[in-house]
Amino acid sequence: MTAINLETVMLIIGFLMILAGCYCLIRTYHMLKIIIGIEVAMKAVTLFLILAGYVNGHIGLAQAYVITAIVLEVIAAVICAGVTIGLYKKYGNMDIRNLTRLKG
Amino acid sequence: METLVYICLAFLLVFCVMAVTSRSILKSAIYLAVASATLGVIFYLMAARWAAVVEVSACSGLVTVIFISAISLSKERKDDIHKKYDDEKRMRFLPHLLIIGGIVLIAAALFIKGFRVPDSTAPAAEDFREIFWNTRQADIFGQIITILIGGIAVSVLFRDSKENGDKG
Amino acid sequence: MKVLDVVTEAFFLAPLIAIVLNTVLPKKFMEKYFSLLSGLVCLIQIFDAGFAAYYMAVNRITSHNFSVFWRAAGLNADLFSLHAISLVFLCFIGMVSGVSVLVGARTINTRKSSYVNLLMTLIIGMNGMVLVSDLFSLYVFLDVVGLSSFVLIAMFRSREGLEGSIKYLITSELAGIFIMTGISFIFMKAGSLDYTVVTKTFAQQGSWTALTYLSVILMLAGFAVKAGAVPFHSWLPDAHQSADTSISILLSGIVIKIAGVYGIIVLVRLFPGVYAIRVSLAVIGLLSIVVGALLALSQGHFKRVAAYSSVSQVGYILLGLSTGTMLGLIGAIAHVFSHAMFKSTMFANAAALHEQTGTLEMDKMGGLQKQMPVTAVSSLIAFLSTAGIPPFSGFWSKLLIILALWMSGNHILAAVTLCASILTSAYLLRLQQKVFFGKAKEQLSGVKEITGSIRFVEILLTGITSVVGVFFPLILLLLQRGGLI
Repeated sequence: MTAINLETVMLIIGFLMILAGCYCLIRTYHMLKIIIGIEVAMKAVTLFLILAGYVNGHIGLAQAYVITAIVLEVIAAVICAGVTIGLYKKYGNMDIRNLTRLKG
Repeated sequence: METLVYICLAFLLVFCVMAVTSRSILKSAIYLAVASATLGVIFYLMAARWAAVVEVSACSGLVTVIFISAISLSKERKDDIHKKYDDEKRMRFLPHLLIIGGIVLIAAALFIKGFRVPDSTAPAAEDFREIFWNTRQADIFGQIITILIGGIAVSVLFRDSKENGDKG
Repeated sequence: MKVLDVVTEAFFLAPLIAIVLNTVLPKKFMEKYFSLLSGLVCLIQIFDAGFAAYYMAVNRITSHNFSVFWRAAGLNADLFSLHAISLVFLCFIGMVSGVSVLVGARTINTRKSSYVNLLMTLIIGMNGMVLVSDLFSLYVFLDVVGLSSFVLIAMFRSREGLEGSIKYLITSELAGIFIMTGISFIFMKAGSLDYTVVTKTFAQQGSWTALTYLSVILMLAGFAVKAGAVPFHSWLPDAHQSADTSISILLSGIVIKIAGVYGIIVLVRLFPGVYAIRVSLAVIGLLSIVVGALLALSQGHFKRVAAYSSVSQVGYILLGLSTGTMLGLIGAIAHVFSHAMFKSTMFANAAALHEQTGTLEMDKMGGLQKQMPVTAVSSLIAFLSTAGIPPFSGFWSKLLIILALWMSGNHILAAVTLCASILTSAYLLRLQQKVFFGKAKEQLSGVKEITGSIRFVEILLTGITSVVGVFFPLILLLLQRGGLI
């Protein structure tokens, strides 16, 4: 078990979080749950960035990357919530199975 | 110190899975906030203090507020949620999938030589603030433009319809 | 260096000043002149790119680093750099945005100031993507481009618009997550994300670990999603069909190229000589050509045929990139230009048809050749250019790609690409025949030709396609004299 150090455990947990986020994205019908799935996957990405910075010593540079990534994530959540609310006002519920107008 | 990081990592994964599989959307948002706080603690323990502060305040605070305001803007009757979105039944296999995935990844880490992450080296003597303001100028510019887009999006998407002649 | 500093900073400053002007000036004034303001910015961009190219060629400068707004003291702080490929892409961005503004002057009637603001941020994002020299900044500007296009599609809040926007949003965010994961693994090994540092660290393929391979695969998959290549193309028809026509021109003409194809160009130049990347690009490219063309054969909506056609043409561009040679790169960039031109023509025709007949379902149209002659002729020339008939520009770009494939040893691939042109002609001929040829339908009897800016756009684009096609051998001679071929 000496091959599993703390950093590898973090890598594994990060991959599991991305797996959970993608699974949520594929299987859910509720539009706000999709945003939660994307958010969970983005947290895994920030975890990977800090892990990379911790491993190669440039923790300051990694923090600069993470702060920018968090700002982008928040704005993406805002826009996604905006489009979802617009769809709710058109259809009356948050079901993604309603979106069948574009077919072919 | 290391055991604390392990415990926090376990909590992070548990709260994320609970956020994804919960039946009520409000509880999902709260679990996401708690997971963000745990992630902030992990950042602090790995000597990334500035990132921890921004993570807790932005993700755990701002995104949760956005979620809860979106949930309250879309009031639904309670039994509609339980009848139509059987998320708990559809996502029943998520823990099983995660355990299988975890076993596969641990096996990969033990047997594939290139998969494990090297041990951490000593941090270089650099200050975060100097790096951010001096070298990351393009990112700062990009962030300002992104926040501008967010502002325009809020003013366009959250306005009431029936004015400006929306198409149906 | 002073002249070049001003010229290159104008790429960022001109759209910003346009946003400020748009907010500050009174609303009634801006509603009348919004297309003039945006068109001015696009013209400034085209002339700027041309002037910078001339200046750099005369003074023999190959690249130039610059900063915007403040010069940071000390370390290697110049994070934007300008070189030959960026200049070419900047010129394309200006051209397609100008065309989009001209069409939008006619089709956009509400929320004009938001349209101008979002278009300016989209231009800033695309300029930023081709001008940075750092992988993480590339991702930041990629996100800026993505967020602007989500809001542009959803802006008019119709049901189709919101639905197309949310499907695009989900797929694009997932792709962004894959790209970011790949970038973080590269950062783990290299210590910094500057292009030169990354190239130096990963130069020997023997030192690559499993994590490096994983990161390259993830980044390739992410950029392929953004480019709309098969099997990641499911968002493209919905997003391009449901957006307003002037925004579809932008999306299909330049955004998928800059966000997807330029990212793959960066990847190929960061890791030169990796055989696995070339093979996967060739496979994805070939699949895109065939699947895109086959799916376009069965569509009934004009814009959907155009969207699947974009998927198919992106396959050609990826095949050109998969050779790894300079000729392949030049062929790919030439095809980016030709495709931008004929796709813009197709969407301008769609706007004209929608304005005059009120519908875009091909079953309801027919026999419009006598009533809308300008539209019919421009559509015919676009069809000839796409199918690769000389002397239009599409013929030359396809010829360059097939030559590059042949010269790098993939004889079978070159032959298959040549035969796939038949599929391209098939769906375009079907489109042309259903809409323009044949007998006119009774309910379309009052339809007249489109006037104004859309007609000007159609004539302009047809002219550019023909002129560039006729003078293309001169461009090839110029490149050969510059020692590039």
